[in-house]
Amino acid sequence: MTQATVITVSWIDPATGGARQEIATAPIVFGRVAISMPTTINGVATRQIELGDSDISRFHLLVDWQGDRLVATDQNSRNGTFLNGRRLQSDVVPNGGQLQMGAVVLSISYAVASIPAAGASGGGIAPVGGVAPEGTIIRRVRTSREILAERQIDPRDIQSSRLPMTEVDFASVGGGLGSYIWADYLRVFGARTEQIAALGMREPSPYANYKRLCLNSQIPLHERLRSNSDSCPDNIWGWPGYALREAWYDLTRGSAGTALRYLWQVFSEPTLSETYTPRAGRVFDSIDREARRIGWDRIWRYGRVKAIRQTTDGRYAISYAQSDEKRDPAFMIARYVVVATGYPKIQFLPDLQAYREQYDDFRTVVNAYEDHNHVYQQLAQQGGTILLRGRGIVASRIIQRITEIRQQTGRGDIRVLHLMRSPKTQGNTFKFAKRAVANHFEFQPFNWPKACWGGDLREVLEKANDSERDELIKSWGGTTTADRRDWREIVDRSVREGWYAIRFGNVSSVVPNPNGGTLTTVTGNSGEQEVNADFIVDATGLDAEVKYNPMLEDLVNHYQLPLNPRRRLAVNNSFEIQAMRQRQGRIYAIGAIAFGGPYAAVDSFLGLQFSSQWVLDDMVKADAPGLRRLDGWASFNQWMKWATNQAPN
Amino acid sequence: MTPTLLGRIQTRILLFGSVGAIVSFPFGAAGLLVLFVALILGMLWDILYNVIQKLRWDRDWPAALQLAAGVWEGLVLLALFPGIFNLWHYSLVWLSVFIASQSVMRLMFPRWRFRGGRWL
Repeated sequence: MTQATVITVSWIDPATGGARQEIATAPIVFGRVAISMPTTINGVATRQIELGDSDISRFHLLVDWQGDRLVATDQNSRNGTFLNGRRLQSDVVPNGGQLQMGAVVLSISYAVASIPAAGASGGGIAPVGGVAPEGTIIRRVRTSREILAERQIDPRDIQSSRLPMTEVDFASVGGGLGSYIWADYLRVFGARTEQIAALGMREPSPYANYKRLCLNSQIPLHERLRSNSDSCPDNIWGWPGYALREAWYDLTRGSAGTALRYLWQVFSEPTLSETYTPRAGRVFDSIDREARRIGWDRIWRYGRVKAIRQTTDGRYAISYAQSDEKRDPAFMIARYVVVATGYPKIQFLPDLQAYREQYDDFRTVVNAYEDHNHVYQQLAQQGGTILLRGRGIVASRIIQRITEIRQQTGRGDIRVLHLMRSPKTQGNTFKFAKRAVANHFEFQPFNWPKACWGGDLREVLEKANDSERDELIKSWGGTTTADRRDWREIVDRSVREGWYAIRFGNVSSVVPNPNGGTLTTVTGNSGEQEVNADFIVDATGLDAEVKYNPMLEDLVNHYQLPLNPRRRLAVNNSFEIQAMRQRQGRIYAIGAIAFGGPYAAVDSFLGLQFSSQWVLDDMVKADAPGLRRLDGWASFNQWMKWATNQAPN
Repeated sequence: MTPTLLGRIQTRILLFGSVGAIVSFPFGAAGLLVLFVALILGMLWDILYNVIQKLRWDRDWPAALQLAAGVWEGLVLLALFPGIFNLWHYSLVWLSVFIASQSVMRLMFPRWRFRGGRWL
């Protein structure tokens, strides 16, 4: 018997009635509160198993090898531990033994003869040696690659391959804002933290990636996001909104003037005043508070997801690497899965992509969403010209940043050339309405007409078929910027001062110029012109087509899943990937990866809340364990818990 | 919240019938009569507001327009019932309905804001 021998722990969750199983190596610690349990025993990392039963102590029981015997030791728990019905202090647990704590009965099983030392990561194909636990069929050990080749995975194959395996009711693929908002809904709808797992690749903070994109695209923490007051990722009710909170904050610090202004803004926007938008830093702080309230640190786990498969018992298996090295495969089995992978790729215009690849130059041609601070540093020190491509909100941000640099340094030799394909003198039209335009920028408070979030345009899109949706998205979409007075003034003034100019035409080539910058050849109405620039900034955006994410591409190929006209995952009106439906579970896709489906603003805070709400309602209808429909007083009650910062359950 | 026609009507019925009725009681039978007529006429106005809303690019209905609609509806009621129309009563109804729609509706009906004001 070695430390690598895997132990299978199975039990029935008393709260949900669902079967749970963990496959782990010792030492294993059991208790009610994860932070009270040790993370290592004698220098070996523990597997923590949290059990949500009030009769279980915070750190209740330790199971570890002593030589070749598996020993369970009670940690002076208040209500004790029982081994096969007898009170236990510290004793050997036989294979198939039952340990009881509170209402939870754990069945413990492990291979009783020594196992070839192939390691827990499961490399070699070797039969399981010795005697298997009673009632188990001896199965061939398979590698994770072999397991994934099957159309459906038998969880017993994972078990006999000695790969780490965790079972949960709800799992999300992606550890960002989409997963966090979904987990927030789950918690408020009654799920407990130990039922939920979010597999993320970056930092545990749900907004880490979003924040990076904000900072790169020139939205520092004190600046305002292009988001509505009641789009609150920390609050599923959207009340109180950020305007009310900011007004209250300012009022309690004696700043009644600004407080009244925010309230006036939300009252009169967008007709009589500029639309209120919240400060980035405030939004992040509110997310942190809610993350603590719902126990996000226990939901989030590091996981580089490789593949998703159906299981033969009607659930889903997620194959992932537990660290960056990709050599430690593990499986998570879940009944309900949400795919919230966000934007996998920064999008470049084709000619700029070609330039970067051909000249291996990632310094002069940059994307607005990647770190490009060197551009501003050089402009501040030496002056120069930026060629800006794309006319969305990020372009406005960059013009604002350049204005600030010009003011701070007093340099008159910093110029911006804004290259657009064609003039925009008329806004988009839809039925009787028309979008406003100035300086070839189309104005709209948010990136979709407001009725796309919850008004009649949302209903129109939901009822439309695939090709109608494509048409509707074309007429409501397009790059727009917010109608902010300061931006309009900046653009007007910079045009007058002559350091900002708009050119129209199609790019025929981009090559390096002798000064270390770039030479762009533009074909327009007035023939060919050549534009020299020290830097080219591509502000056209981000992309989430399935083909940019290998894990999703594998899923689509493995199950022949349909894509929508926008080449993203096709989902039904509840955001379910219906072709993947199983007896016991469902898979959903939310966020950018579902764009082109029933909802336009999928990647916004409010859009993620909308999708999560619809997913939760669908799961409640499907009888997902531990969830109940949230409405009326139950909803009000949960809001009170939010307001008083108490855990949802 | 961006209302749809059905959402406007449903919300109007619920809020006039609850907070609207509560604040109307102190004003006696006259108060309740005006409230009832305001509700019936309001549902007709909603059809007009919905048309106006469709002319706006964002198809939204800012709070300022909500206030303008309240003033307009009040003037029509005053013309219809010059004898019993009470400005205090009417303002109280409008304000309590407005505040309830901005707060408690969201807390009791989490889907309300996503469904254009439909709570059924």
